[in-house]
Amino acid sequence: MTRTLITGNAAAAWGARLAGAEYVPAFPITPQTEIIETLAGWIDAGEMDCRLVTLESEHSMITAAGAAASTGVRVFSATSSQGLLYAMEMIYAVPGYRAPFVLVNVSRGVQTPVTLEPDHNDVLAARDSGFLQLHCATCQEVLDSILIAYRLAEDHRVRLPALVNLDGFYLSFTREPVEIPDPAAAGRFLPPYDPESTRFHAGEPVSQGVAVLGGAYYSYFRYQQHLAAQRALAVYDEVAAEFAQQFGRRYDAVEAYRSEDAEIVFFMIGSFSTKAKDAVDRLREAGQAVGLVRPRLLRPFPAEALRRALEGKKGVAVIDQNLSMGMGGVLHGELAAALYGRAGMPPVLASFIGGLGGRDIAAEEFCEMAAVTRRACTEGSTPPPRLLYTADELRQMRKLQTVAHAERMEGKTT
Amino acid sequence: MESGFLEVPEEMSDETITVYKHMKDLPSSRLLGAGTPMCAGCGGLLAIHQIYDILGEKTVFVNAAGCMTLLTVYPHTPFRGSWLYTAMASAPAGAQGVRDALDVQLARGRIKADEDLQVVVLTGDGAAYGMGMSSTSGAIEQGLDFIYVCYDNEGYANTGQQSSPATPHGARTSTSTGAQGFGGYKKDLFAIWAAHRPAYVATVIGTEPVDLARKIEKAKGLKGPRLIIALSPCPTGWDFDPRETVEIGHLAVKTGIWPLKEYENGKVTHTRPPSRRAPVEEYLEKQGRFAHLFHPRRNEALLAEIQARVDDYWAGVEESHLT
Amino acid sequence: MYRIRFHGRGGQGMKTASRILGSAFFLQGYEVQDAPRYGAERRGAPIFAYVRAARQAIQERGIILEPDLVIVADDSLVPMPAAGVLQGIMPRTVLLIHSGETPETWRHRLNIAGPLLTLPAEAAAGDGQRFAGAALAGAAARLVGVITSSALERAVQLELAGLGREIVSANLDQALAAYERMAPEAGRVSEGEVFAAAACRRPDWVELPLDEADAAAAAIHAGATSVEVRTGLWRTLRPVIDYPRCNRCWWVCSEFCPDSAIRVNAGQYPEIDYDHCKGCLICVAQCPAHAISAVPEAQA
Repeated sequence: MTRTLITGNAAAAWGARLAGAEYVPAFPITPQTEIIETLAGWIDAGEMDCRLVTLESEHSMITAAGAAASTGVRVFSATSSQGLLYAMEMIYAVPGYRAPFVLVNVSRGVQTPVTLEPDHNDVLAARDSGFLQLHCATCQEVLDSILIAYRLAEDHRVRLPALVNLDGFYLSFTREPVEIPDPAAAGRFLPPYDPESTRFHAGEPVSQGVAVLGGAYYSYFRYQQHLAAQRALAVYDEVAAEFAQQFGRRYDAVEAYRSEDAEIVFFMIGSFSTKAKDAVDRLREAGQAVGLVRPRLLRPFPAEALRRALEGKKGVAVIDQNLSMGMGGVLHGELAAALYGRAGMPPVLASFIGGLGGRDIAAEEFCEMAAVTRRACTEGSTPPPRLLYTADELRQMRKLQTVAHAERMEGKTT
Repeated sequence: MESGFLEVPEEMSDETITVYKHMKDLPSSRLLGAGTPMCAGCGGLLAIHQIYDILGEKTVFVNAAGCMTLLTVYPHTPFRGSWLYTAMASAPAGAQGVRDALDVQLARGRIKADEDLQVVVLTGDGAAYGMGMSSTSGAIEQGLDFIYVCYDNEGYANTGQQSSPATPHGARTSTSTGAQGFGGYKKDLFAIWAAHRPAYVATVIGTEPVDLARKIEKAKGLKGPRLIIALSPCPTGWDFDPRETVEIGHLAVKTGIWPLKEYENGKVTHTRPPSRRAPVEEYLEKQGRFAHLFHPRRNEALLAEIQARVDDYWAGVEESHLT
Repeated sequence: MYRIRFHGRGGQGMKTASRILGSAFFLQGYEVQDAPRYGAERRGAPIFAYVRAARQAIQERGIILEPDLVIVADDSLVPMPAAGVLQGIMPRTVLLIHSGETPETWRHRLNIAGPLLTLPAEAAAGDGQRFAGAALAGAAARLVGVITSSALERAVQLELAGLGREIVSANLDQALAAYERMAPEAGRVSEGEVFAAAACRRPDWVELPLDEADAAAAAIHAGATSVEVRTGLWRTLRPVIDYPRCNRCWWVCSEFCPDSAIRVNAGQYPEIDYDHCKGCLICVAQCPAHAISAVPEAQA
């Protein structure tokens, strides 16, 4: 087993290369750009037989991706943040083509204010689009998830595009040891794309993406996408098992870390979940029964697997690196919906919002979140959602505001 | 004489070997199926069925939001070939994806040459003159091998004829209901496209089928970006009796308000310059959208302005011929 | 776990230095995580990169707050608060400064008792510092004491592959020389502890107050506040005006200064604002009278 130090962006590019992507519609955006630069470099050097075209926007990029997938080739693309949002009309449109491809999103907070650093509001805006969503915690997982995503998306029973998410900076620019699979092995796991009857060519007319008038007809097609996405749960398990068998790395739809006998579990997605693992280890050393439950698959939502993983737990600390204004954390709501009204489910789901725009979640904050959740279990009442912010951070913010407002701040803040 | 014109003028027929010299040369295959939900008397559909007869069924039409989106309503399509609906802004990008994917498969031998398709973007003026301009510019810049057909009905017709960047000055629309009509001026899309130096740009109209056929035939024989603007008299949006569609189309050409022309190799040629231009009023007065220029009293200033702009245009054309 | 921070200026090769050290650890059998910290900064601005290395899988992420070793490529950054060189320094943290001055001078200047070493800066001019990355990585490799010279050598070759044999060879020489020079200090850097849950301080979380919308929007209600940003810190070469030679032309230097850092004073002479001059040296290149020269910041 040879491992190489590569960044999450390089791992994503390797995923596309080993998947034998034939067509890459592209558009640059930080922190994703290195992915398309890497692919372009390989193509120019003759190391990858692929066509890369820079469109004039992400909206066009996703249009071209959906159109090319509908024409019968294996398509890869990548974006971030505002790019994903700019493309959002097409992100919702192309799953209906039922022409699979893989899109990598390198998470970055969305404006306003503008930032370069990550959180998950960008990718969660695509939550209801029909794209399947796989969320990665390590660079290795980025590469492997792309191969798994193609198998899942292209499966005859699914036929939906898939989005693989990695965090900007914490994965995109960070090198970690990654085992780059042998191309032949990757080829055995992921055979060439079979477009089935979804392809444009002379002799077999296809009208794709057409209008449907009438709610019941419309509903049928939308329900079908939903049913296919749900079917993808079982298909994912098969694909992940086959991947584990071939490459020795297991990627269950829900990762459960030291949670079997845990009383309190952290629930989160993305690269910070490795920090949560660290906190779990330290809290275990201190005698606390704490674990981590991390859904890799967010769409389809592995509700049943989550219920199995959380059954009998006293409390869950749900850590959302996203914010639905006026509501709170998106994952908190999703998890609550999956658990509500079922016997044996944890009575306390404490909500924590943090890690927005790249803000760190410190080790002591993980400890405190566990403590808050434990207290809530003892007291039998769920605390209000906590926006992670320290007094020192607020002091620093006030300093910036003094500059931004010259001397006009009196009475506007408390 | 089908429309008050002589046959194809001498100076532009010399080099062009065309099978379409007379009305009776035109194909009568009628590839486009009947049964579409377009309005009765639709000038856009008129042009599209003629274009389709020339292009043939080895085509994939990539569509942006507009009237023609409703050509394909599940489970019905008038096309014998293929169709892809994208979105209002990005049909040329859809064409890029299809073309590239076809090329990838041709190169790898996964499809044979006779399975290849002509990729045709089909949008209205709302997409072509406005929202889709960025992706169109991008596709031309890429040198994309495609044909763009814009059916220009001079407004957001599918939503009830609101003003668009293609609406002519003075026209009443559902968002320009005042005494002066639309205050803006129709954007010169031909010039904008030609400024990209693509392989071919042409204006056509379904009421001049020989001119249209010859231009589509020419476009079909070229590679690269080929762009066609088809003025599409719209009974619903322009407010005239559907039976008048062809007559209004003839008048658009005869009055010189819709110059038929083509761009190729850096040169613009007028393919049907009216020999004696009729007053533009003859075109305007037949349409309800211009009725406020005539009733309750004539808006002489606005009529004169519209006429002057047409005159200026043709004066410029004549000048460029002299120099 | 080893936690190591490299500080330098954009363009001084800190990303490459961190990668050489990361690869050397990795070749030595360690689990590794390395990353540069990008921001909106440009060439010359203070930046940093970090390396974590451990025998077990690394779960920590993000900026290193409590470093075991801090390496500074450009000694002018050490006292600069914005560069954050001294952030999180503990008594056992080793500080390695690429500097022409002695460790004693630095210890005195910074008033720190902890281990402080210098790697003598070779050339006085900025160029010597530009390519200090390999040497600093080599020094760091010896300071941690667990990296062999052959692992270092392979790491340099791996990370610089593609730059051509000559450049690789020159960097390798520098890296190995620094590695040898640090021999007496081999193993000086020790692995930091993992945090203990019991010792965790409670975070000083606050209930964020609701502020008025105009204060709470990311809007700046003031003009030209950017002057608070001292971009003069980016500069390694300083343009200096020889006033007797200045002929007060049409103030070419001021006109072409992209940063508005040369103003024309009451006497109609240009004046350089060193708080903001980034050291691009356009003024030096464009002065018709050749009245502006570039002086290394250290000598200015």
